[in-house]
Amino acid sequence: MVKQQQATFNEVHPSPPFWSARFSLPNPPTPGTFMLADLGEPLRTVLFPAFIEDNAFITLLPPRHPGTHLLPGSNVDMIGPVGKGFEIGSIDNLLLVAEDRYLPPLLPLLRAATGVALIVEATTRAMLPQIAHIPPAVELYMVTRDGSAGLLGPLESESPAPTGLERAAPHFKALITWAECIILSCAPERYPALAAMVRKTRLSVPENFAQALVQVTMPCGIGACEACRVKTKRGERRACTDGPVFNLLDFDGVE
Amino acid sequence: MTWIELAPRHKQGLPIPSPVMPAAGTFGYGPEYRDLMAYKAADDAYLLGAIVTNPVSLKPRHAANTRRIEVRNEQMLVHTGLPNPGLKAILREHRNFWQRQGIPVIIHLIATNPYEVAKASGKLSRDDSIAGIELGLRSDISLREALDMLYAAQDGGEKPVIVRVPFENVDILAPALAEEGADCLTLTAPPRGLLPTEDNDAGEGTLYMRGRLYGPAMFPLLLQHLSTWCRALEIPVIACGGISSPADAQACLDLGAKAVQIDTQLWRDPGLLPRIAQALIDRQQEEEEFSSFET
Repeated sequence: MVKQQQATFNEVHPSPPFWSARFSLPNPPTPGTFMLADLGEPLRTVLFPAFIEDNAFITLLPPRHPGTHLLPGSNVDMIGPVGKGFEIGSIDNLLLVAEDRYLPPLLPLLRAATGVALIVEATTRAMLPQIAHIPPAVELYMVTRDGSAGLLGPLESESPAPTGLERAAPHFKALITWAECIILSCAPERYPALAAMVRKTRLSVPENFAQALVQVTMPCGIGACEACRVKTKRGERRACTDGPVFNLLDFDGVE
Repeated sequence: MTWIELAPRHKQGLPIPSPVMPAAGTFGYGPEYRDLMAYKAADDAYLLGAIVTNPVSLKPRHAANTRRIEVRNEQMLVHTGLPNPGLKAILREHRNFWQRQGIPVIIHLIATNPYEVAKASGKLSRDDSIAGIELGLRSDISLREALDMLYAAQDGGEKPVIVRVPFENVDILAPALAEEGADCLTLTAPPRGLLPTEDNDAGEGTLYMRGRLYGPAMFPLLLQHLSTWCRALEIPVIACGGISSPADAQACLDLGAKAVQIDTQLWRDPGLLPRIAQALIDRQQEEEEFSSFET
């Protein structure tokens, strides 16, 4: 049951490359689910939690986002929590994979298993997230597409790296073998290639082994408008109500 | 509130309990908003005049592969491709819900040719959970094609037929459709527009998105059409386009519209529809009390 809630905006501060905004409300979202906030725009804004407390959540917003202009103490009308979130059982080895701007929804999972590895891929060094967000116990792999820091991306590419750079793909494959569960948050058009890599690397893939968060525009957020449909192997699905978390392998072979 | 007859010329009629309903494409098929808005008031009075479904085609349709939404200031372009699982699946999935609500259900029917309209209309005429059909037309449809679609809907089945008139051709289509037997007209379907998208990268030239235009800018254009056509046509008119407050809805009714449809404003403010309905009920009660006091 989706509910309307009144949230209170508490504070906002820079957290490069994002802005961190905190809202308190009776029922905060769980990892992978989201809130639809009325921030005065023509459409409600989708807010994924980056940090979750008992009666509050923190979301990370891009610069100039309307949420960064709110005044502390102001009321914000929210719908949610909406959608199907991540399902992680009791596991030891969890692999998180995110592109820079899609990273925040994975942050609540940094302590979801005994061993957590995080691959963050950014276009360039400046877009990599603050290390302060990452607990020291997390094994962190930084990947940049231009090779300006860490390993060379994209993750799907297995072509030889220029001299002095190291490709990320072999590390990614090794981590796929190590992990008991993989959670991805990337541009949806990358999922078919990433699904193919997972399928080729693992001989057998258990149910819910690889979960992909789909972040697309969700105008209504409750399955009414049909604008957020995504193609899967099982036919078209609504990102808002059938997702936003899908089985990654549902995108395997989808054009 | 007294029921409003949307199809006075039709043998079955199409009475609705409230003049407020959602526009096709914004509300799903009915169950989607049940947790977010009251379909009935506390005293059991109907707030929702009808459930107008998302566009439904005879056969399943897939979503558009292009960008689906582009927002600029208060306006937005929407192009979903009108995906739906087809008429048979929709009826099977939602019939029980519709029957439980007791609210008239209007199927928004889309088709590429009169044959599909006739076939779908025939299927719907045998379904007691459906009160009427709202026929959606292409924005560039000719008068001949529009009339053929209307005849097919009428000949194929027995339900009252509302035609949602494309914004681009109201002056040509509205009088002809009314003359040729449409039971009611929805003025209007949103016009088509073009916007540069946010995806534009340097070096690739400007990328554009085409879609139907929604937003408050549609409201004065709607009133312009209503002021021309509500009194000139001999059939009821439903107003649709940019309505975002009880005052907007009242302005449409004052120009002669029998009912109003709320479109994309619902996505931001699901409570808008019942709020408008309640305000119209309250106003009608006030007027009735005032007139009884006068007599």
